[in-house]
Amino acid sequence: MLQYVNVNIDGATIRAPRGTSVLDAAIEYGICIPHLCHVPFLSDIGACRLCIVEHVVNGRSEVTTSCTLNVEEGMIIRTNTDKIRRLRRNLAELLVAQAPNSRAIQDIALRCGVKEVRYPFRNEDCVLCGRCVRVCAEIWQARAIGFVGRGKDRHVDYPFGIRPDFCKQCGSCVQICPMTIPPCDGPMKPGEEYLCGKCESQLMDETPGSCAWCKLGEGFGCGRYVGV
Amino acid sequence: MPRLNSYRELEHLRQRLREQRQSITTTVMVCGGTGCRASNSQAVIDAVRDELSGQGLDDSVRLCVTGCHGFCEQGPVIIIEPGNIFYCHVSPEDAFEIVYQTVMKGEVIERLLYEDPVSGKIVQTEAEIPFYKAQDRRILSQNRLVDPCSIEDYIVAGGYAALPRVLNGIAPEDIINEIKSAGLRGRGGGGFPTGRKWGECMDAPGDEKYVICNADEGDPGAYMDRSVLEGNPHLVLEGMMVGARAVGASKGYIYVRNEYPLAVKNSRIAVEQAREVGLLGDNILGTSFSFDVDIARGGGAFVCGESTALMASIEGKVGEPRPKDVHTVVDGLYHKPTTLNNVETWANVPSIILNGSSWFASKGTKGSKGTKILALTGRIKNTGLVEVAMGTSIREVVFDIGGGAANGNSIKAVQTGGPSGGCLPLGKFDLAVDFDVLAEAGSMIGSGGMVVMDEETCMVDVAKYFLTFLQDESCGKCVPCRLGIDRMLEIITDITEGRGRMEQLDLLEELGDTISQTALCGLGKTAPNPVLSTLRYFRPEYEAHIKEKKCPAGVCKALITYRIDPDKCTGCGVCISGCVHGAITGEKKQPHVIDAQLCQKCGICRSECKFDAIQVF
Repeated sequence: MLQYVNVNIDGATIRAPRGTSVLDAAIEYGICIPHLCHVPFLSDIGACRLCIVEHVVNGRSEVTTSCTLNVEEGMIIRTNTDKIRRLRRNLAELLVAQAPNSRAIQDIALRCGVKEVRYPFRNEDCVLCGRCVRVCAEIWQARAIGFVGRGKDRHVDYPFGIRPDFCKQCGSCVQICPMTIPPCDGPMKPGEEYLCGKCESQLMDETPGSCAWCKLGEGFGCGRYVGV
Repeated sequence: MPRLNSYRELEHLRQRLREQRQSITTTVMVCGGTGCRASNSQAVIDAVRDELSGQGLDDSVRLCVTGCHGFCEQGPVIIIEPGNIFYCHVSPEDAFEIVYQTVMKGEVIERLLYEDPVSGKIVQTEAEIPFYKAQDRRILSQNRLVDPCSIEDYIVAGGYAALPRVLNGIAPEDIINEIKSAGLRGRGGGGFPTGRKWGECMDAPGDEKYVICNADEGDPGAYMDRSVLEGNPHLVLEGMMVGARAVGASKGYIYVRNEYPLAVKNSRIAVEQAREVGLLGDNILGTSFSFDVDIARGGGAFVCGESTALMASIEGKVGEPRPKDVHTVVDGLYHKPTTLNNVETWANVPSIILNGSSWFASKGTKGSKGTKILALTGRIKNTGLVEVAMGTSIREVVFDIGGGAANGNSIKAVQTGGPSGGCLPLGKFDLAVDFDVLAEAGSMIGSGGMVVMDEETCMVDVAKYFLTFLQDESCGKCVPCRLGIDRMLEIITDITEGRGRMEQLDLLEELGDTISQTALCGLGKTAPNPVLSTLRYFRPEYEAHIKEKKCPAGVCKALITYRIDPDKCTGCGVCISGCVHGAITGEKKQPHVIDAQLCQKCGICRSECKFDAIQVF
């Protein structure tokens, strides 16, 4: 039988089954916490750090990722403080400077309040969210791709760089990849590297605070199913 | 040796071994630690051994190949007891003289004695050497008493006395209370109260628990864990046994990096010896307590010193940290409750049990008790391993023990705590070696590295060095650490190469704050410290790089030029032959000139010039 606990997220008392993450509980309730590497039904690794929240323990708040934090009775969570918004914006800025041509990343950046990017753009294609690696390992039990290398050499690859037999080319990794949403062909030209905010995200201006990924609250599922 | 089945048999063995050794009149202790081995101490050991057996002194003189004595700069080091005579820079050719004169006749060889570089005095005994005198050597002093490969030595020196106590008398709760009241805090860097960690692990549900010794020390310039594990592995093992008894663990691991071959070898030997006499295995000393230890070798990733990455590595997975929302004392190795402590922490445990918590707490400050081993390196006269009581000021460590700056320069800063720590300026040298005091000043004790810097060190370059190290060693899992450190390095590189802008300093601070608050593990959380602390205390140096495009210390190559002072140059031509780039021209006996286009700023000419004629701007 499911056991329920009460958590306080942004002042709202939420009843959530024991064992769910704070992120899931918040989304279920309609409090959208921006996130990138989290996908329902896959394990959480806490890689993108966008879903950070303040967890208040004994009056002291500590910053932690909500996807890896499980709900507990009496927990107090703040998802939208000034501090969190600032940290989240800086993280999104790092991401968008790395992969400026991805619309998913652009949208996240705008959602997190990035107005200007203070770093030179690098046109990378992968931000190592690890969705593909986890879907291959956890849903298909294939482990045909994994992380290779360390630090800035880290990338996703086949074992020893050769496609193994147990990769059935099912395409799940491609489908779940946030970078496969066709990039906008607008502003990102050499020398004109800036965020125009004219993708889906422009809708945000009309209803501030809503998530660009879920088309103005058509359903809180949309952001979580990007690419699926 | 026979298997020991009770406490009494252990004491009998100790008595018997001590009686056997009564015939020994002289002990020659040669350091076989890594530092001295690098100075060819193995040849000295062989020569002394040959000489002793040649003179027929095998029975009355004991040659003890010990672990590190700490004064690595003076290696190979020999101490002869009785008399406490200290010989340094010993070469194999000296063996005959040492055995014939000092061991047999009791005469001191003047030429091998230590000369204090500060006062210029010749010092005869180890106890009188200022480097040792100012220290408080609780753990390191045990190193020179025992041969790390001999369990007999450890038992004779009073070892394995804490184990029977915790097996026969003290309840696990009381062990933990004793550690708690001693105020022992983790020596690996975090400074977490050890007793609280043990208590949480004991209370965690589950029958299967683990204890782990973290010997994956990887800070540049730090080697205290290595020296303790190499020099006295049984001490660490005994500490682990006490800990295992307290938390209820039956299996332990020593995670030691494979780059420490001697530590791997010595700890393996120690584990085998302890198993042989029944101090590890089932029913230790006839009690119901069973405990065994395995050695796990690390592949050399710095991040594997982080607790969860270390556990993943032992499990055979990729050494990457995972989120610690549930602590490792509840969900650790193989998802079982696990107590992970540093080598030095474990080494402190047996003496707390033996001498009591008040003895341990008699040294130290309010928040930090006991002693701490520091690896003192950099631009000072005496380098080596230093053990001081907590609360000793940095000034005492650097000037009294370290002997002050080498080469007549003046000391500018000290970097404490390795890549996770920070740089403190001379004005902060009155701060005490204390977990909380240093953390407040923007640095940390960390594992205990202490790199002293003088006026020829560029602080921006130091920050760049540590960022490069951390960027290399970051696992790359989380965004702030992987991308954030990379961007910080990008900005710092811009600054050192003359492309910096003033607003980038604020960006560095903001980015550093973001990384330290949001990174996944301890490596990322502390990674910005070298930059943030140098920015805090040495901002003018950063500004000089940006505004004046000058490197005040003359280190950053893009911002300096080499020039020959025509007044000082005698035209000797040494620099011309030294310059590999052919950038120096000039007639004999005429002042030479450096072609700035060809000059690669390697600094060879400067080090070759005897007249100090080559200047850096």
